[in-house]
Amino acid sequence: MKNTVSVLLTAALLAGSLSAADKLVIKGSDTLGAKLVPLVAEAFKAANPEVAFEIAAEGSTTGIAAITDGTAQIGMSSRRAKPTELSAALAKGVSMKPTIVAYDGMAVIVNEANPVAQLTVRQVEQIFTGDVTDWSAVGGNPGKFSIYTRNTSSGTYSDWKELAMKKRDYAGSSQKMAGNEQIAAEVANNPNGIGYVGLAYTHVPGIRVVAIVGKNGKAVLPDDETVQAKSYPYARPTFFYTNGEPHGLTAQFVEFMLGAEGQSIAKEVGFVPVAKE
Amino acid sequence: MRKLPLALLALCGGIALTAATAVAQDSGPLIDLLVKKGLINDQEAEELRTDLTKDFATNTSAGKLNLGSQITEFKLGGDIRLRHQYQETRSQNTTLTTNRTRERFRFRFNGDVQMQKGWSAGFALETASAADSGNQTFENGADDYSISLARAYVAWQPRNDLKFVAGKQRNPIYTTDLVWDGDINPQGVAELYTLSLGGKDTLEFRALQSIMDDNNEATAGRAGNDAWLFAQQAVLTKYFGGTKLILAPGYMVYSTSTVSGLTNETPFNGDTSNLSLVTFAGELEFANVGGGANSVKLYWDSSYNTEAADRVHKVYALPTADKDAFAWLVGIGYNHGSGKLQGDWSVRADYRRIGLGSVDPNLSDSDFGFGNLNQSGYKIGAAYNLVDFCSLNLTYFRTSDIRDTLKHAVAGLDKSSILQVDLVTKF
Repeated sequence: MKNTVSVLLTAALLAGSLSAADKLVIKGSDTLGAKLVPLVAEAFKAANPEVAFEIAAEGSTTGIAAITDGTAQIGMSSRRAKPTELSAALAKGVSMKPTIVAYDGMAVIVNEANPVAQLTVRQVEQIFTGDVTDWSAVGGNPGKFSIYTRNTSSGTYSDWKELAMKKRDYAGSSQKMAGNEQIAAEVANNPNGIGYVGLAYTHVPGIRVVAIVGKNGKAVLPDDETVQAKSYPYARPTFFYTNGEPHGLTAQFVEFMLGAEGQSIAKEVGFVPVAKE
Repeated sequence: MRKLPLALLALCGGIALTAATAVAQDSGPLIDLLVKKGLINDQEAEELRTDLTKDFATNTSAGKLNLGSQITEFKLGGDIRLRHQYQETRSQNTTLTTNRTRERFRFRFNGDVQMQKGWSAGFALETASAADSGNQTFENGADDYSISLARAYVAWQPRNDLKFVAGKQRNPIYTTDLVWDGDINPQGVAELYTLSLGGKDTLEFRALQSIMDDNNEATAGRAGNDAWLFAQQAVLTKYFGGTKLILAPGYMVYSTSTVSGLTNETPFNGDTSNLSLVTFAGELEFANVGGGANSVKLYWDSSYNTEAADRVHKVYALPTADKDAFAWLVGIGYNHGSGKLQGDWSVRADYRRIGLGSVDPNLSDSDFGFGNLNQSGYKIGAAYNLVDFCSLNLTYFRTSDIRDTLKHAVAGLDKSSILQVDLVTKF
């Protein structure tokens, strides 16, 4: 009887561990989690049908917190982990490991009816910080800016402050949107709208991408070449965060993401693939 | 994953061993350069960045702070002062002198925050709730003591020459403790405008609207009015080579009201009427005296109440005299060194005379004649820096009355003397 019970218990434990091992929980960035990661997961699942995915895209902060809390195997993030997040993780015995999975050019978008075709980095800073309030100040038709930004839990929100605003505060009039799609939709509907979205969201009807004039005086549009060469000023890596070196199923998925199929999907949905050595 | 090259590991190790925590925050440009030169790829750069950030986050206290992005500077500081005080007093119309020894301390903790777009804010915590003193006397067998909020303010400086401050704040008026005790932080709104006169010369206009007592408006008459102090001042700062001249004429007036419930060390409840003070303070400082950072300073202050006769007669119910209207102070000081380094020392002495109707007794120095009016005398002080952040200070006050035989809470002191021995440690 004792042997029968122990065999049953062992079988139940094994079944439980297999079940847990075949499920990959991925949380974090909306930039990565809205399109790219679900498509890559689908492709991975096609080759590994026993694997189940749970993907929650609610902002980079939630992804990094999920690794710290142990509630996800992969934390998607469109920004680097902050020192306080790293120390909080270490306090719980978690060692954050970043892996670059793709690059993203953060595109400045305006309504397609807007005549402004390019902006300098200084003008972009002035617009998003509220130093200027009217399109006429940057060569456009008179009209107050309608500024659309991501919400505060978004990695893109803080990345934009760092890359484009010299870490200054957003204009008080800026409106916070839940995701890239909402920003693109608002700008498409508002002739005075301006916002920023990942490259994956630049093909929404009704919007146009503005070229950015950097210090060298050249107007640059975000694309694979300018992002990889870092000549586009608002380019950034995107990350998978794991607790230490990924292993098991997590490592398999990370490798798949960095492999030919994963990077191909990244390119298809508007990201810039990680350059091959 | 690619392994970091040996040379890079050596570089990282060097950074870690030498100044990892200091370098961590500034390593971005260095890492970017390594990527640009092809020494490492982006992935290796991220791992390096993360390692350095972890090191910064775990091995430095600064790395554990999570400050809002609007904050550009957050300064914390304060001091602890241990004091031995010996005091003697004698009231008018008596020959009895009383003396007392007090062992006291003062704790202060300040935070000042600079933010974007010209905003700033600050706070100060200190022992004791009295506006004019942060001293707490050691008493009652190892008691614990309360901490009070001495400052809480917000400031906005839209331009370099214009600043607004609201809340309980540092006194914005240039003055001495003849008119305004250095411990008193006014509460209200201040406006400061600075006009540049070329070089370091400036002409400042300062205004303060400070609430002195909040009363219930539902109460009819004077008891229902709020007591406000309105102070305005021009401050000219002019340099003649190494010599600095400051001239600061001003005017202070109160809205008429009763005041009550003050917690000053020597509280003077009563009435704010008939206080219309014309003030004039200033200093002449000679820098680089005898070489080095030594300096000699002549300083003065004065206050003339244009309604002194009415104040003495109506508010204090005492007979008036010509000398009641005027308060003045002249002093001289010598600083050997900047006062910030070990071994620096200073001495100063002033003589002052405070007429019965000349100033607001709630604001003038609480140590000189214990805050009484109708006093004349001197204050002598010396300080020596034991180390950069700790000084030993001696201060002696001696006063006597100007007019005899007055029986009143603000004018009844015949003689007083106070000796204070302080050990002040800043942190």
